[in-house]
Amino acid sequence: MIRFLKKRLPDDPANSGALNDLSFILIIFFIVIAGFNINKGFLLNLPDREKPRVVKTEELIVATLDENGALLLDGNPVSAEDLRRETEALQKEFPNCTFLLQIHPDAEYQSVISVIHDIRTLKVENFSFRMTGGAE
Amino acid sequence: MSSMSDIGFLLLIFIMLISLINQRHEVKIEYSEAKKLEQTQETENLEIWVEKNGRMSVNGSFVNERELEGIIAETLSLKPGTRVHLIADRATPYKFVNGAVSILQRLQHRVVSFVVEEEK
Repeated sequence: MIRFLKKRLPDDPANSGALNDLSFILIIFFIVIAGFNINKGFLLNLPDREKPRVVKTEELIVATLDENGALLLDGNPVSAEDLRRETEALQKEFPNCTFLLQIHPDAEYQSVISVIHDIRTLKVENFSFRMTGGAE
Repeated sequence: MSSMSDIGFLLLIFIMLISLINQRHEVKIEYSEAKKLEQTQETENLEIWVEKNGRMSVNGSFVNERELEGIIAETLSLKPGTRVHLIADRATPYKFVNGAVSILQRLQHRVVSFVVEEEK
């Protein structure tokens, strides 16, 4: 008697192919979502009120942000580009120069961030900021 | 094959739970923008949200300056390595942000992250 070998069909107890795909897609989705809450911005060292640093005036650049977000250098309005140029020039002469930003209480936060961003781009090591007038 | 799907579902439940634990109490604000940012996230983080009307919130609860000082002091005493993030609306007058900054200076915790979004 010829025995025909019956082809044995592979066992497939549960048709879980689609569920497996779905579960792995959801895993990837949640892994990606978990990465969305990462804070980015600028890490700053706040000035120490109790131990103020002494800086030479020739190594110091003082800029003021008024209530409209306009920049002032020695009381004169300047553009962000002019301020960058002045800072770069001072940095060339004094690599350890200090940039002090004086902020009007009603200046918008975005204008402060823009200045901080420019200072960071210029890699100024010593950056300090304070609010002018009002309670500090 | 069934063990693979079991592993898959266990991983899924695990990751879902982790994402729930990491849930953030967000306040609706318009972020400030900048071109070049750095990552300031740490293992332990404390987020201080400041709205443009000066209202501050931490972990979903509105706080005044005194309460904020207490929360910061307590958090830092329990977890000294906590990174403090200041997240303010772009139109917030700086005086309100300065309130939080002053508290950090008083507590001698001088490292702070100003959180912004990448400029579009």
